[in-house]
Formats: sequence, structure tokens, C-alpha cells
Amino acid sequence: MDTETIKNKIFEILEKAKGKKKLKEKDVIRIASEELNVEKDDVKKVLRDLIEEGKLCYSYTGGASSVEIPSEEYLREKGMIK
Amino acid sequence: MPKMYDTPLLDELEKGPWPSFVKEIKKCAAKNDMAADELGLLEKSYKTKIGYWKHGGIVGVRGYGGGVIGRYCSIPEEFPGVAHFHTVRINQPSAWFYTTDALRTICDIWDKYGSGLTNFHGSTGDMILLGTRTEALEDIFAELSSRGWDLGGSGSAMRTPSCCVGPARCEWANIDTLELCYQLTQEFQDELHRPAWPYKFKIKIAGCACDCVAAIARADCSIIGTWKGDIKINQDEVRNYVKNGFDIQKWVIDMCPTECMSWDGSTLTIDNANCNRCMHCISKMTKALKPGDEKGATICIGSKAPIVVGALLSWVIVPFIKVEKPYDEIKDLVRKMTEWWDENGKPRERIGEVIERVGMRSFLEYIGVPPQPQQVKEPRRDPFWFFTEEDIEKIKAKEAEEKKTGVYKF
Repeated sequence: MDTETIKNKIFEILEKAKGKKKLKEKDVIRIASEELNVEKDDVKKVLRDLIEEGKLCYSYTGGASSVEIPSEEYLREKGMIK
Repeated sequence: MPKMYDTPLLDELEKGPWPSFVKEIKKCAAKNDMAADELGLLEKSYKTKIGYWKHGGIVGVRGYGGGVIGRYCSIPEEFPGVAHFHTVRINQPSAWFYTTDALRTICDIWDKYGSGLTNFHGSTGDMILLGTRTEALEDIFAELSSRGWDLGGSGSAMRTPSCCVGPARCEWANIDTLELCYQLTQEFQDELHRPAWPYKFKIKIAGCACDCVAAIARADCSIIGTWKGDIKINQDEVRNYVKNGFDIQKWVIDMCPTECMSWDGSTLTIDNANCNRCMHCISKMTKALKPGDEKGATICIGSKAPIVVGALLSWVIVPFIKVEKPYDEIKDLVRKMTEWWDENGKPRERIGEVIERVGMRSFLEYIGVPPQPQQVKEPRRDPFWFFTEEDIEKIKAKEAEEKKTGVYKF
């Protein structure tokens, strides 16, 4: 399966969960892998690339980490957008 | 010039014979706005008895999920210097050995980008740099990386492994704690920087049962140096200790937890089969007693502080394992442990808690370690050994066979 489809699915999953549930990296990988019927390792690779690129980021609440789409405010604070 | 605050309550903490954190913050506050506002905020907290910190959120460096702990002030309009006051964790070298030059480098970077305040060290073992702003994080990371440093672990990740000084400074070390710590840190880089687990996972390595890093109480995976065989006794040195006024009965024989030692006035005898290798006698009579020659480690699992449920102490899983390069056996074991935990753990559940909930049997079966007597933590009380349907069938078949043949197998 092409990378773009997996990327779009990951964004779709995270958009859907926004404000409702904090998703761990593992949750995102599992859901995307099941819905697209692709190997978990393939999803993991795409997810990691998105994190490396700064399009996704890890978040942290009460000691537990999750994956999120960064807000514009955060990207601005980090100097990634103007 | 940073704003100066009146701090009558904090000033009280400068009195007395001990070094004071207030004095150190004041030194920083004289030249740094963040440290000055930190002082003002703390004084306000002391007066109002309210904390003004918020923590967590999306704060980090690109690609990493750990190493930075976001911290914000809830009244930034009053204390703008600490509106952001993030903590940066730096992966410490094994056993915290630094050159003065390395420390100066870190401090220079922190004076440039942060508050100038540090903690040496955090309880996980990392160097802790206190107080910086979000926009400075990438620059801090770039400067640290270019000088060979890396961030430590935080969040639901492998936390920075730590170890005691081991053979670098201690005669009792049964294993090379420093090398093992370094190799495990390298092996688990992905797990350290990209939090993917239910919660934190800590590895601590102690060279002997004196456990200077308190692995038994603090680490999800405690690796503690030990030995097989008999304690080596130098009887002449034992007699020298006694001759010089050492009360061997009171300080050693009576304090042996398994009561496996005796002293008849001229000879010390140890029933080594009953020794639990606690190191008490060896640490009391260093010249007379030494660990046996076959060195290795005991691996324990599950200790933690009381966060979600109560505190747990580590539990023996592997009574003895050889600790030899390239440490593949230990790496594989840690991987299997974390896989099982990741599969079975709920969010914010530590591995020790999952073992209590799901059962030791399932854990041991997955990691491929056979049940052994040393794993029994509380005889007659461990509720973690359950018979499966398969076990019951085997027992029934054995009983039927015994009844038929009249030969009973025990």
C-alpha cells in the first residue's frame, strides 16, 4: 500500500480522536493496520516519519504519552511556522 | 537587571548549617529573569499555600517523545519569566562519571538557553536542567547533540538506565555495571526516545546486593550482581577483626538474615547453602570475606513507587544469569518482558501491577523462564500460581496411572 494512504489514515484516526481520547502510538498503529489491512511495521514506519517531520508529535499527560497533531500555536512557538 | 522580589519566607530557609536551595536560586536570580521569577513565584506559593505549576502537554524536540517535561506557570501575567519553565533531562553517563570540562559545557549551554538552575541528579538518574522556553528547545538539543549528549527518557518510555559505580570504584561489584548500563542504553534507544508503552519502565543495575542505586525498590527491572558458590573466608583476617575489638557475634552472626553463620571463638563457619547473598557480612568484614568466584546477576521485576496503586518491591525472576558481553541474553529477556507488558498492560499500569493482575504464570510462560523456588516471594501466600485445564488433565492422568500400577510418583 502506498505511503500517502497510510499517512491519510493516521491523520483521520487522530482527527477523529481529537478532544475525546488520547491515543498511544500503539493504538494508532493497531487501528490503521486493521482498517487498511497492512502490516503494523509499515504503519509504524510511516508514523515515525511523520513524527520526524514534525507533522505529528508526542504529547504527555500524567506520565502517559500519546500521539497528536500539533496545534498551530505550538508550531508557532517552536518556530516551525510563522 | 532581573526583577528582585522580597522573600521573607524563603529567607528563613537560608539559615542553618546546610547548603540552601534558596541561596543557589538567589545567585541565579541576580543575573537571570527566569530564576528571579521562579524565586518570586515560590515565595507567593509559600504565602498562599497554593501551587502555580501546570505540567505536561506537547513539549519536546522534533522526533523525540521524551527528554523534555513541559511545565507552565498558571499566572504568567504576574511572573512572565516562568510562563514556560520546561525541564530538560540529559542522559547521564554510566555511574555519573564526568570530566569537569563536560560539566562546564552543560552549564554554559544552560546559562545561555535556560534558567541556570539544575538538579544533579533526578531520581531516574538523568541530569536535570530546570526551566527553559519552548522556542529554545531545538537549539538546546542541537547544542547538546553536537557535543555528544543526548536526552534522557520521560513519559511512557524506557527511562534512562542507571547503575552504581560498579568496578570503577568498588571492590564488591560482581558485574560490570557500567558497561551493561551503556550497552542497554544503546540497545533500547528507540524505546527510550519514542514512548510507545503503557507507562514508564526503569532499569537499574547494582553491582552487588548492597544495591547503592536502590534497584530493588525503584526499578521495574532490577539487575543485581551476585555470585554462585561459597563465600571466600580468610580465617586469619577474621581473627584479626575480633582481636581488634570487632564484635563479630553482635555485628555479623546475629545480624545474618538467614542465620547461616556461626563463630566458635576461633573459626567462622558459613552454611553457604542457606546464604541469601545479602552482602551484610562481606560489607562488615571486607578484609576477611569475599564473594565467590562465579559471578553473575539476579534479575528482579516489578518495583515501583505508589502512583496508581501502592509501592512494590522487586521480585526475583531469574535467580542467576551470566553477565557477559554482548549481553544478548539480558537484552532478549528485557525485550520479552516489555512485549508481554505492552500486550497486557492498561494505560499507566506498571509491569509489576500487570503481573499482580494477570498472574506470574502468564508472565513466566511468555518470557520463557521456568518456575523456580527462588521466585516464591511469600511462601504459602503467593496467589499467582494457577492450574490450567491442561495441568488438571495431566494430574488426573498421573493419578489414574498410579492407581492402576500401584506405583506412586512424588
